[in-house]
Amino acid sequence: MQYVTTFTGTSLVDVPNRLFAPRARLLAAGVALVATMLAGCSGGSGAPVEVVPGAGNGPAAQTYTGPAPSTGDVQAFKINLWDNIHADNRCGTCHSVSGGQTPMFARSDDVNLAYAAANMVVDLASPKDSMMVVKVGGGHNCWLASNAACASILTTWITNWAGSTAAGGDKKIQLEPPVIRDPGTSKNFPDDQGLLYSTTVYNPIVSQFCSRCHSSSSSVKQQPFFAEGPSNNAMAVQAAYEAAKPKMDLDDPANSRFVLRLRNESHNCWTASCTNDANAMQTAITNFAAGISPTQVDPNLVTSKATTLYEGTVASGGHRDDSTVIAMYEFKTGQTCGQSITGACATAYDTSGVDPAMDLTLSGGVQWFGGWGLNFTAGKAQASTAASKKLKTLINATGEYSIEAWVTPGNVVQEDMRIVSYSAGLTQRNFNLGQTMYNYDFFNRSDKTDGNGSPQLSTPDAAEVLQASLQHVVATFDPATGRKIYVNGVLVASNDPTPGGLLNDWDDTFAFVLGNEVSGNRNWAGVIRLVAIHNRALSLSQIQQNFQAGVGEKYFLMFSVEHLTSIPESFVVFEGSQFDSYSYLFRKPFFISLDDTQHPDMIDVRGLRIGLNGGEAPVGQAYANLNTQITTAMYSSDTGQTLLDLGTIVPLEKGPDSDEFFLTFDKLASHTFNRPPPVTPPAPTPADLDPVSAIGVHTFDEISASLAALTGVSQLDSAVANTVATVRQSLPADSDIKAVLASHQVAIAQLAIGYCDALMENRNTTIPRDTMFVGFNFGAAPATAFASENLLFDPLLNRVLGNTQLASQPDKTTVRTELHNLVNGISGDSTRPGLLNTAGVTNDAARTRNIAKAVCSAVIGSAAMLVN
Amino acid sequence: MSMLDMFGSHRATWRLFVAVALLLCGISVALAGPREQAARIHERLAGVPATDAMITTMAATLAGDPTGAAAAQIAMQNPNFYSVTLKNFAAPWTNRNHDAFVPLNDYVTLVMGMVKDNVPFDQILSGDLLYTAPGVSPGPSPSNNDHFAALETRMRNPAFNQSELVATTQSGTYGIPPAATAGAMTTRAASEAFFIAGTNRAMFRFTLVNHLCMDMEQVHDTSITPDNIRQDVSRSPGGDSRVFLNGCIGCHSGMDPLARAFAYYNYDETTTRLVYTPGVVQPKYFNNNKTFPDGFITPDDSWNNHWRQGQNALIGWNSGLPGSGQGAKSLGQELAGTTAFAQCQVQKVFKTVCFRDAVDSADRAQVATMTNTFRNNFNLRQVFADSAGYCMGN
Repeated sequence: MQYVTTFTGTSLVDVPNRLFAPRARLLAAGVALVATMLAGCSGGSGAPVEVVPGAGNGPAAQTYTGPAPSTGDVQAFKINLWDNIHADNRCGTCHSVSGGQTPMFARSDDVNLAYAAANMVVDLASPKDSMMVVKVGGGHNCWLASNAACASILTTWITNWAGSTAAGGDKKIQLEPPVIRDPGTSKNFPDDQGLLYSTTVYNPIVSQFCSRCHSSSSSVKQQPFFAEGPSNNAMAVQAAYEAAKPKMDLDDPANSRFVLRLRNESHNCWTASCTNDANAMQTAITNFAAGISPTQVDPNLVTSKATTLYEGTVASGGHRDDSTVIAMYEFKTGQTCGQSITGACATAYDTSGVDPAMDLTLSGGVQWFGGWGLNFTAGKAQASTAASKKLKTLINATGEYSIEAWVTPGNVVQEDMRIVSYSAGLTQRNFNLGQTMYNYDFFNRSDKTDGNGSPQLSTPDAAEVLQASLQHVVATFDPATGRKIYVNGVLVASNDPTPGGLLNDWDDTFAFVLGNEVSGNRNWAGVIRLVAIHNRALSLSQIQQNFQAGVGEKYFLMFSVEHLTSIPESFVVFEGSQFDSYSYLFRKPFFISLDDTQHPDMIDVRGLRIGLNGGEAPVGQAYANLNTQITTAMYSSDTGQTLLDLGTIVPLEKGPDSDEFFLTFDKLASHTFNRPPPVTPPAPTPADLDPVSAIGVHTFDEISASLAALTGVSQLDSAVANTVATVRQSLPADSDIKAVLASHQVAIAQLAIGYCDALMENRNTTIPRDTMFVGFNFGAAPATAFASENLLFDPLLNRVLGNTQLASQPDKTTVRTELHNLVNGISGDSTRPGLLNTAGVTNDAARTRNIAKAVCSAVIGSAAMLVN
Repeated sequence: MSMLDMFGSHRATWRLFVAVALLLCGISVALAGPREQAARIHERLAGVPATDAMITTMAATLAGDPTGAAAAQIAMQNPNFYSVTLKNFAAPWTNRNHDAFVPLNDYVTLVMGMVKDNVPFDQILSGDLLYTAPGVSPGPSPSNNDHFAALETRMRNPAFNQSELVATTQSGTYGIPPAATAGAMTTRAASEAFFIAGTNRAMFRFTLVNHLCMDMEQVHDTSITPDNIRQDVSRSPGGDSRVFLNGCIGCHSGMDPLARAFAYYNYDETTTRLVYTPGVVQPKYFNNNKTFPDGFITPDDSWNNHWRQGQNALIGWNSGLPGSGQGAKSLGQELAGTTAFAQCQVQKVFKTVCFRDAVDSADRAQVATMTNTFRNNFNLRQVFADSAGYCMGN
């Protein structure tokens, strides 16, 4: 059974808050009919032979000579869809009068009749759900190598036809319940470094028959390297295991890519029978799966029914304004490529529908990104110069353009790197959107700039608008005001250093490139999830519309809870999407019954958690503290009731094809789960540390205060204060005695000298000098004064070492001897003549005080003061 | 000619320093009697050598109180215990660089005053308390640090005494509502350091570092419900959500619901003062709100503690508190009510006085004993005294 819900607006963000009007939709019969009609295109002889119409360098030019479009909508159909599909190398081959295949939506004799036929196979409200798109996307006569690319292009054309109605008007959301089933036990890949894989799949088959290509040591080096070797290298086997995971379906081995590739596509079978090889591979994977214990759903949990991402209802719309787009990359086609960028995975398609298609060739360090995108490390995606020429042609026609991109810069330290460029090398370009650390740079070549588009417009340094997170960036140019840069829907740079200008000088021999310079030496690191080039400068409202539309495919995941609430057709619905290669985004859960007659009330909802493959996701449970109640007052049969206006991400395990989701509740209606509190681990037992010295040293301010205390000199003495200010940060900052350096001692000596200078000059002392050194004659010449040297030494030693000798301090007699030698020198040692015997000085009273200062500083600046 | 040149004494000083150091290495520990113990207690607490008379006085108390605590209380009467030891003890907490060389500020004097008056130290994160010096000019201002800079100069005067530090209130001095005061967190110094720009998470993180002795790595827990992580946290940094799911979420899931308490605070760089906007969430809480639009939008200053369960229950939360509240004051009480808070204060004092972390079972037992005592009386001065006694040598 299907349901149609309708809401009005431009964004899916607030779907639960918008008007839902569930009602039955009888689409199924029509779908079947159309499918039958389209299938008939293959011929009618019964032979399933389909001839792919000419691969496209654009539709073959034909001039329409039939009746004029009878209405504006017919005219819109003609311009946006019919003109693109009616040619002989596209749908016109069959779905025309000459082709004879109904529906004749590509007939050339009368566009009004084609319009009538087309209405049977398109859904203007949801273009991507049109039967025309579904059919071609499923492989029906796609004119490109990628069915998904054809589907995207057709979607674009139909969306353009739908025009303003699709962009801003009513939009139908079909809440399509999935098959109701219990959360199943699920087999998950064991975290065993590939041990089981090696014995069941790798050694018996893969390493023997696949390693000539799928190994980094092979000559071909075909990604993914699931046959990495040698087999006796555990690291290599583990790498192979990681690469093989996406290729194996543990729950249904026959559905494994490894098996399908052999069975259906005869991919490099190693015997004469691909069927036998496929069976062998299937057996190997079955053996692998058999060795894995399935993850059981805890029977005590209160669980919803289960679903998968792709079983969700497509949150169709997107509501982008692509009315002026001339090149478009959504990167939808590489989701099964893994690490491969060869063969079909080597091309990123231009799905703008504007010919010629400016498809990009991937090379170097670039990989497909989960949830649509390209992840650049040191590579590029580049178009041919011939195809790139359409940029010059179409942009010169309007004189204005916009570069729009959803990007996730890999870091904020890369400088002068190219994200989107149309150029010939490092110094020749038509335009470039690049990154320099926290800034986006926008170069544009005009008659007012040089050939490199310099000077550039950059986002403001201080604003740091560029962040290593998903951002919507739009760079616009118009001939009047010049360049502007918008980030996440906000104008962040508009002060163009060379405003305005003409683009006539653009060079049509340049190439369009993503993630690098065409010369390959400006490697940008990051993810590009969408790029669109418009040949108009988008307005702020258009930019905000596209920002709100977001990026990537979104689904409404419907978790049936009817068995818990006893309310018919009741669901907890999340909007979900693949967030990146490693996680899913779940957002804004709401409760709704698709039965309009229901009026739920007094339903407690508490402790909601997201289940994944048989167990609760270990991280990201943002709804675990939910505690609310569904009430009639809050519930609307149109919109349901929002449970929590919040989003979260949960880790991806097996991939969007396989990961099965369900919900658990601590309480829902009358069902409760008494969740045990999280276990608190025991406190760690502290270990003994290395022994540490029991003594240490004074630190900076302590040293100054200690010197002040020992000398009685005020710290406010200006000379002392100046010295403190000078050496303070050169003094020991840590009490660790092992951290004391010679440089610290220099600073201590300098400070000690400062204090001793004040003391000996009797300046700002709390104890007058002559009171401290009773009897020492500071007015005499050195020889006279120091004849009574102990009158100077002993007060100093007593203050530092204690009147009563402290056992923890140096022996006073020993230190006194050292001081004596300092003053008088050591007999027979010419290197220590003593301060009294210094040559070339005047031995006056000033010299006496200077020697006293030296003695003083040697005592108070010593380890006796510093160590404690 | 420099003083060193003039005296030629640099070499002599260094020589004497080395000689004395060598002498000290041999005798400093093994021969500690009461006078040596008293001397060490004094130096460790006051930061300066004791006079002979002081050593005699303190040594005399050791006979009656061999723990050294009584002697330590005497040593702590020295003004340098406040102007030097406590200043350098608390100064690193007041800035992001953990710099002890910063000018004296109101955060530091708050610590000094609380120790001086034996104010229960668990009020350090919640009290409407401020310590100023009425005799020092200029007076305290919400817009500058001049008063405390002048007070620092005053503290270098030999005549300074700690009695000049007088208790007052932040609400009365700075004009913020009493209910909005939160001890050290709402001092002007902390505001300038941790409420400036950014997202106010800095106030939480540095409070955790300074008063629970743990950085975010120690509380990292990815199993926490991430329902309060704001919009500015990228869920896919550089396009790789594993970084978020294995890293960022482990800290933000616990920190962001607690940092909501600061939603009304900001440091205004223009007026150079703390701004408090009751009922109005500061715009900084909505910075980069397009980074992950489905993230949490802060509605008010109510906070809740997701760390009361799981591995972070080991922090030792006070079961008598609700684990949620509104504003910084109740958050401060939540943090200061933990075992980790008490243990942290004791560890910091032990390190300051003993020059080491607890290295063996004896040290750990001493820290545990002091922590238990501290949890009962929150008397930080007692912790200094007990630590000095424990490390006075024998």
